[in-house]
Amino acid sequence: MNEPGMVAERPAPEIEPHTEPFWQAAKQRRLVLPRCRDCQELQFPPELSCVHCGSANHEWVEASGRATLYTWTLCHPPLLPYFADHAPWAVAAVTLEEGVRMVTRIVGIPASRYEIEMPLVADFEDLDDERTLVVFRPADPA
Amino acid sequence: MGSSVRPVEDPVPLVQAAGYAAWVIRDKAAIVGIGQTEYVRRIGRSERRTAHEASVAALADAGLAACDVDGIFYVEGQSGEATDLARRLGSRNLRCWAAASGGGGAACAPVVHAAMAIASGVCEVAIAYRARNRGAVGGRPWAKTSRFVAGQAAFEKPHGLVNPVHQQAFMARRYLYETGAPDDTFARVSVAQRRYASRNPVAYFRDRITIEDVLGSRMIADPLHLLECCPENDGACAVVLTTAARAQDCPHTPAWVSGVAQGVGPRHVPMTNLYNKSSPWEWPGAYAARDVYAMAGLGPGDIDVFQLYDMFAPVVVYGLEAYGFCGMGEGGSFVVDGHTESVSATIPTNTGGGSLSEAYIHGFNHILEGVRQLRGTAANQVSGAEVSLVAAAPVVPTSAILLTRK
Repeated sequence: MNEPGMVAERPAPEIEPHTEPFWQAAKQRRLVLPRCRDCQELQFPPELSCVHCGSANHEWVEASGRATLYTWTLCHPPLLPYFADHAPWAVAAVTLEEGVRMVTRIVGIPASRYEIEMPLVADFEDLDDERTLVVFRPADPA
Repeated sequence: MGSSVRPVEDPVPLVQAAGYAAWVIRDKAAIVGIGQTEYVRRIGRSERRTAHEASVAALADAGLAACDVDGIFYVEGQSGEATDLARRLGSRNLRCWAAASGGGGAACAPVVHAAMAIASGVCEVAIAYRARNRGAVGGRPWAKTSRFVAGQAAFEKPHGLVNPVHQQAFMARRYLYETGAPDDTFARVSVAQRRYASRNPVAYFRDRITIEDVLGSRMIADPLHLLECCPENDGACAVVLTTAARAQDCPHTPAWVSGVAQGVGPRHVPMTNLYNKSSPWEWPGAYAARDVYAMAGLGPGDIDVFQLYDMFAPVVVYGLEAYGFCGMGEGGSFVVDGHTESVSATIPTNTGGGSLSEAYIHGFNHILEGVRQLRGTAANQVSGAEVSLVAAAPVVPTSAILLTRK
């Protein structure tokens, strides 16, 4: 049941000044996170200022890429057309080893094999020449 | 029953301030009129028009003249606005109006703001309303997602986390995992509320359903099925509030506004809260609970009946925890053990059927049910109800009102 005027393509991230380092790193197959230089807290998603202390003074640090599966869902229509064409569409959230959580996708296994808390490692999925999404695959390929 | 509000981060400052806030606001305004349109799939009239119809009905119920309306409070994101409504009502002296932000979390916010305005003497006869046409295809905010998405959405929507139900399905799965609640926990919420709705003549859905019906309905976002999601329909609701002096002369038992609150808590991201460092389960509702109880000088053990905006069934479970009717992580077993599902239960919840069955007016219909319970006119009347708690969705920036009968 598509609604009139829905975007046909898969939504893609708009690269903004405060998120550009994240997307540049992803393109280079690296996962980086903003860390506040004042309170040392990591945060995700990146914001213009620290949600813990309000400081705008942050640096980008390398994450290990190790994570565990926090939760997931299998999405059925109604969906945006791109996802409806690939339904049921699985989407997940993971807890990074560093403590912050990300919304992402799991690649390499079907949803029937997802288990909450299963160990994962970061992987990368190119959307186009400029944009690469950070996804995750099982740490144990077996 | 564990009758205590669970502690939230930084619980001190507003509770202290609530002593003064209680003196200024508690029982200074009352809901004296309620009005609504029919709740149907397609109402065939604009939100601007149904807002007017519900307001006129609420004023008639209150026995107050439309020309005396001097305050109007509503929720943003609907057609028409306060000054437009005032003109069409024939209001002669509108002097206080505001739109609250926050969608389903703002359900109670217009009443919060109206009560504060009346208590402070800024206005004397206020309308709070919500008009919502969501039955038509094309009305869903997520369907307006653009090709390129910025901000937080840039880190969610490209992965497919687009619809509110996806966000809630995320948390529902995690909740079942962490608490060990049975897989049919949320289905039980839907079944209980439909049973209430089956006796409510204004409810949108009145046919009773079983656990099997819910679990056999179409999967929308695993683990949430169609019947664990509220319908999308059209309709409008309004209430009239006035001062203590005027309330005494109105025909119906006043529903005194004994406590009001808005709340969100730190680092909150609506619907999932999963980026929250401390605990995703520390929902905004816990902050509104703390403050609404403090202002009223009451606690969960004093509440006779509870209405909670429930766009998805799991939200009821989280709300029972946030408002202190059971401990954190105990909401599932609390529902399964039957503590909410009848008028003689521990805490009868969503006695009109809630959003899942009565209507989807973004939680405003819950306010009308909270008032009916105090008047003794509810379809599922809680015997002798004197304290009625109404809360918006606890999983988004939220609002709550505590109503009492004297």
